Amino acid sequence: MASNNGGPWGGSGGDDRGGQNGGGDKRPGGQRPNDPQIPDIDQIVKKGQEQLRVLMGGGGGNGKGGGPDMPKITRGTLGLGLLAIVALWLFASFYRVDTSEESVELLFGKYSSTGTEGLNFAPWPVVTAEILPVTRENTEDIGVGRGSRSDEGLMLTGDENIVDIDFQVVWNISDSRKFLFNIAGPRETIRAVSESAMREIIARSLLAPILNRDRGVIAQELETLIQQTLDGYESGINIVRVNFDKADPPREVIDAFRQVQAAEQTRDTLEKRADAYANQVVAEARGTAAQLLEQAEGYRAQVVNQAEGEASRFIAVYEEYAKAPEVTRKRLYLETLERVLGSVDKVIIDPSADGGQGVVPYLPLNELRNNSNSGGGN
Amino acid sequence: MRKTTYILPVLAVILAAVFSSVFIVDEREKALVLQFGEVKNVITDPGLAFKIPLVQEVVKYDDRILPLDTQPLEVTPADDRRLVVDAFARWRIQDPVQFRRAVGAGGIETARPRLERILNAELREVLGSVDSGAVLSADRAALMNRILVQSRARASALGVEIVDVRIKRADLPEQNLEATFERMRAEREREAADEIARGNEAAQRVRALADRTVVETVSVAQRDSDITRGEADAKRNAIFAEAFGRDPEFFAFYRSLTAYENSLKGSNTTLVMPPDSEFFDYFKTDTPGK
Repeated sequence: MASNNGGPWGGSGGDDRGGQNGGGDKRPGGQRPNDPQIPDIDQIVKKGQEQLRVLMGGGGGNGKGGGPDMPKITRGTLGLGLLAIVALWLFASFYRVDTSEESVELLFGKYSSTGTEGLNFAPWPVVTAEILPVTRENTEDIGVGRGSRSDEGLMLTGDENIVDIDFQVVWNISDSRKFLFNIAGPRETIRAVSESAMREIIARSLLAPILNRDRGVIAQELETLIQQTLDGYESGINIVRVNFDKADPPREVIDAFRQVQAAEQTRDTLEKRADAYANQVVAEARGTAAQLLEQAEGYRAQVVNQAEGEASRFIAVYEEYAKAPEVTRKRLYLETLERVLGSVDKVIIDPSADGGQGVVPYLPLNELRNNSNSGGGN
Repeated sequence: MRKTTYILPVLAVILAAVFSSVFIVDEREKALVLQFGEVKNVITDPGLAFKIPLVQEVVKYDDRILPLDTQPLEVTPADDRRLVVDAFARWRIQDPVQFRRAVGAGGIETARPRLERILNAELREVLGSVDSGAVLSADRAALMNRILVQSRARASALGVEIVDVRIKRADLPEQNLEATFERMRAEREREAADEIARGNEAAQRVRALADRTVVETVSVAQRDSDITRGEADAKRNAIFAEAFGRDPEFFAFYRSLTAYENSLKGSNTTLVMPPDSEFFDYFKTDTPGK
């Protein structure tokens, strides 16, 4: 990594992110140290620093006059010293840049070029290099883990409801030069801009769409708005994506929202039950209707067949009758009466016979009935 | 050897002079060269720069966009509701000479509170001139722009350019929170009641429609069935009329006989009759005809 440190200018070891060590004055925007050096190299560097300090008399700090404070030097030590200086200089001037990184080279503090992956050369101390992880995705969580009271996650919607929102902004560096030189405190800026953008969008929207279907749209809009604002700062930051983790009602009112969901279920149940009832009775009615119609058809067949049978029977009889009406008529009459009278209880009284007038037509109707009921004639 | 004892100190002095007169202005910085407090030179381009050692000194300012976060501020919009507004600004030093004059030796740390005061004043003024609805909802972007323009004008006196002003949060005060929650709950309860009522309504509608369909279906079937039965009866009559119409008198005779036979069937009938019907013509005499 930033292996071009090690001179008197980088007195602190210079393994800051970006390894800035030009100028030797205070740097604004404290950057976290990362990429700790391998201790061996560190020691070598330290040793080199000491030797250098000895050889150069501690000069080189700006404004700091260095008086000559040389020990006695022999030719051998001088040669060795020179060799060591050259080696150290080379060691300090070459640096490597990873695939995921980019370096920005400064010539006396002025931007000179951007180094890409591989071994890069920045002749110390004229050129200094700062390495930035450009493709690495950084995340800022906003609204996550809010306390019990209103915090950054609670936002006011356009219809003055409150919604609890968590989201995550994923970003990387799109332009290392702008990122480095245009903006102080990039993470704080991203956080503030993101929160502001989200609140602006939420304030434009109503509560219900946020909770339900518009998340994708909001995430899209949010990404655009954050990116626009950051581009306005020429920050060199690229918003990779916005993860919309949570958009819920605040926990203080979540029960009421659950009740609504339960009510929706109830409504559904009621409707489904009614549908079931409807299906049942309508099907039954269709069955009844079919039954009625079939019965009617059956009746029709029965009646017509019966009529046709009866008619054809009559016609057959009539045709025979027509051939010999007198005889047939008599025969039919007699035959019928024979059958009828044959099975009927009969009392024959001849009023014209002698003493016929004297017969009192006393009819013990009940008796007759009993007789007939008890099974037959006398 | 004696030469070197002279040369070396001289060399060192020269080196020291060079190092203390040369300084580096970083890409992130602007520098002022001051001579006993008086601005002699402004260096805005990064790179190597020079000054006279001991006499002149260098002051460097950050040239990047700098953050400014204000404390939450309670403002009163035109409709007298109170709002808690949390804003931030982004700014940069545009004119280092003016900046130096305005803030003196304190630099950025001195400038921050002054900028914050400007920002707060403009926030109060702009947000106080509109209704709270505008702040809370749609017009926020326009308001932020107004605040930006006004505060930019005032901050330029400090040699500072305000790059952006944004309202981070515009909320009702904490005391209103519970009331808002209560209202949200009430709205949800209304919605739940509405859902159930609508469910009942729909169910009733479906049931009523079903009942109606049942009645309709059955009655249509009943009608059709009666029509069919009527047709059947009509046909029966037609068949009979056609058949019996050939000889109505014989039909009457024949049908009467059939009826006698059917109605007087069985042993539950007792007939009291004189023996003078046609049936008994030969009952009394072998030559009827009297």
